[in-house]
Amino acid sequence: MTDYMKTALTFVVSLAFATAAFAVETGKPAPDFTGTDISGKAIKLSDYKGKIVVIESYNSDCPFCNNQYRTGAMQEQQKQLSDKGAVWLIVDSVNTKNASYRTPEQAKAEWAQRKINATDWLDDSNGAIGHLYDMKTTPHMFVVDKDGTLVYQGAIDNKADPFHDPRAADNYVNDAVNELLAGKPVTTTHTKPYGCAVHYGI
Amino acid sequence: MRPFLSAVLALVCLAVSSAQAAHTQVQLIFSADSVKRGDTVLAAVHLTMDSGWHTYWKNPGEAGQATEIKWQLPPGVSAGEIEWPLPSKLPPADITTYGYEKEVVLIIPLTISNGLPTGPLNIAAKVSWLECNESCIPANAQVQAPLNIGSDTKPSADDALIESWLAKVPKAMTGFTAQAFWQNTTTNDTRPLLLQAAWQPARAAAGSGNMDFFPAANDNFEVLPDAKVILNNANELDLGKSVKKFSGDWPKEIDGVLITGDGAYEVKLAVAENTPSTVALPGSAATTRATNNAPQSLWLMLLYAVIGGLILNLMPCVLPVIALKILGFVNEAGSSPRKIRTLGSIYAAGVLVSFAVLAAIVIAVKAAGHKAGWGMQFGSPVFIVCLTTLVTLVAMNLFGVFEVVIGGRAYDSAGELASRSGASGAFFNGVLATTLATPCTAPFLAPALGFAFAQPAAIVLLFFLAIGFGLALPYVLLSWNPALLKLLPKPGAWMEKFKIAMGFPMLATVVWLFNIAASSYGKDVLWLGIFLVVVAFAAWVYGEFVQRGKNKAVATVITLVLLVGGYAFALEKELDWRHAMPMTDAGSLKESANGINWQPWSPEAVAQARAAGKPVLVDFTADWCLTCQVNKKTSIEVDSVRKKITDSNTVAMVGDYTHFPDSITTELNRFNRAGVPLVLVYPKNPAADPIVLPEVLTPGIVMDALERAAQ
Repeated sequence: MTDYMKTALTFVVSLAFATAAFAVETGKPAPDFTGTDISGKAIKLSDYKGKIVVIESYNSDCPFCNNQYRTGAMQEQQKQLSDKGAVWLIVDSVNTKNASYRTPEQAKAEWAQRKINATDWLDDSNGAIGHLYDMKTTPHMFVVDKDGTLVYQGAIDNKADPFHDPRAADNYVNDAVNELLAGKPVTTTHTKPYGCAVHYGI
Repeated sequence: MRPFLSAVLALVCLAVSSAQAAHTQVQLIFSADSVKRGDTVLAAVHLTMDSGWHTYWKNPGEAGQATEIKWQLPPGVSAGEIEWPLPSKLPPADITTYGYEKEVVLIIPLTISNGLPTGPLNIAAKVSWLECNESCIPANAQVQAPLNIGSDTKPSADDALIESWLAKVPKAMTGFTAQAFWQNTTTNDTRPLLLQAAWQPARAAAGSGNMDFFPAANDNFEVLPDAKVILNNANELDLGKSVKKFSGDWPKEIDGVLITGDGAYEVKLAVAENTPSTVALPGSAATTRATNNAPQSLWLMLLYAVIGGLILNLMPCVLPVIALKILGFVNEAGSSPRKIRTLGSIYAAGVLVSFAVLAAIVIAVKAAGHKAGWGMQFGSPVFIVCLTTLVTLVAMNLFGVFEVVIGGRAYDSAGELASRSGASGAFFNGVLATTLATPCTAPFLAPALGFAFAQPAAIVLLFFLAIGFGLALPYVLLSWNPALLKLLPKPGAWMEKFKIAMGFPMLATVVWLFNIAASSYGKDVLWLGIFLVVVAFAAWVYGEFVQRGKNKAVATVITLVLLVGGYAFALEKELDWRHAMPMTDAGSLKESANGINWQPWSPEAVAQARAAGKPVLVDFTADWCLTCQVNKKTSIEVDSVRKKITDSNTVAMVGDYTHFPDSITTELNRFNRAGVPLVLVYPKNPAADPIVLPEVLTPGIVMDALERAAQ
């Protein structure tokens, strides 16, 4: 392989990847966004500066999400963490044409029926926040510390199974928030998210 | 959901060997009805999905879940691992998964121990899978089927089906070597990876289909689905992928399925760490390759280029020129060997210089950011008109209508031009051969050219020279070895007839060129035809009355009047030949008549527009950025967005990052981006922050941002 070829290959490879810019990196500032919640209120991430924020990519009908809520484990965790002062934002990026899309009224009914204990539910049916955070699956979790730095992204726990008992699994979000509250660095900062694909519109 | 699933489960438990969940049917089948003790039988789980539904591969990809099989086997029967047929990438949207649509047969070898008594056995398994279309449903089913232990193994009715799916299972790596290299160091979570496969001896690794790499499942990292074929030739495949890391160190080993032109193979590759390199590129970190394992590639490609050049001699678009050259050599056979050698070399020089000029054009066009293609000069109507005229004159010359004069002396044939006129004639032949050869991309030449166009300037030049060398080689050899010249026929009266005969292929070339011109000028190409007739007539007047006649002055005037008049009337007035298809679109960034009226981006222009209270849309893009092109096509240059831009009085600006201008690099950094795409919408209110759009756009996202910006 000559130097010329090496140069050429290098160049082509670099071009191929120059486009692969990833905005969401743990240890870096979490990209700010403004979304609309199911009551029509504008919600801005940076307004929660000073608080720990948990972001959950959500789809009511996805069996992996459903497992967390059906068992009541997610609501319990939402309550525990918000009691400790954390903010929990549900981001629903299901597009409006999908059967799993919830109108604000349906979402409010689901919130009440499931006894959801999150801080808010953002209607992201245009996928803006989902794409900004490169959300791949439901559930795909993010934890932002008080300074607005992303400290965790990935799966909710270590059991990629729609039928497991979430309380028996190792919950990465819980661990991250508790470590932050204890003033410790977050041990697990990035895991592979599992679940259903986020149903973005095309 | 839960009671429904329970009901489904209850139903499927009633089934014997076939079970139906919501959208997938499952069946357990065997490759043999009856198996001999000690043999292995292939069991298979046949999943049939309803239209639109899919199930997943062993690595589901960015979402989804692999199908699982839990066996309930009688003693003496043991099951092996699942053989997974090659999946497809699904769905073709933002999130890539690997799975199967319509149906799949998962194959599992069952080993029957020697100690089993003959007779029927019941084989059972619980199959769990996730089925998805727009939504996902987890499902499972109990399947069972009888298997007879007998005195010999008899294929079953399902054997053919199982065999056909077994053929789709990736094979063990064979016949090639493969390596993986990190492309640079990074502090990001994503790092480019180069996968390289080399075949020895060379074989058709290229071909149709999508070369790719499907990774095995891994919790610590994911080899991302985007794949870029960097080099693809008969003996090497270079594939660009990238790895997203979730935890731990960068992997030292990557395993999965390498999909090449001649099949899918299981590979397990150690990833070579990068070493410091002197190669630094704008916009990216230094890159290196750990080993130099294919030193022959460049030479092999150059050899192809030479062979391609040789073959060009036989191409229909060059063949007529061969007439000129053969005549030249036949004539030269009598004169001194030294002179023949000189002329041969000058002919070669003519070819090489022409190819160097072509290379320079390609390099210049590449540098200008356009995609250069072989024969691209044939896309220029002006060039076509000139060449058509030239070839017409060559045909007239071969017919003996007129003679070419160089240095004040008339010759009676173009053949003699190439011989007696010496240097200039030989050089002219070389140039003509080159010009005519370019559109004839001989099959051999295709891979060499494909390779060359992705290369830096020096390599492009080298390739063009190699092709030129191939084209000139036979004549150089003949001129240096006069013994071979003796094999050529003796000059004689036949030459004149041969020369005239060779004028007809030349006319055929004119027809071919004329046809190309028709695609640029449409019906008006008629005027080019008329011009050619006028030129031919002028050539005859010139030959008959200027060169051979007595009244030279009058004839010269008539010739000039014909040429100038024909040019002015037919080409300029009627054909408007220089304005058929402008090569450059400089001056306007509009992509079509009703396209967005793009302005070039600059920080000053943005400030100016904002000061005027106008919203601004900025699209930072690059020719090489596929995502940018897709965004533009699907979400920016669309009617709804065009209308919105006009209605909201938004100024649209485009920042071209193709050549990494510093001003744009600075701007990208300001928004924490390492590269394009970056699309910004500045609100009407000059004090408000710009809206940063996501990397992948939909018209809705752009419309929303424009709406907000206009408020």
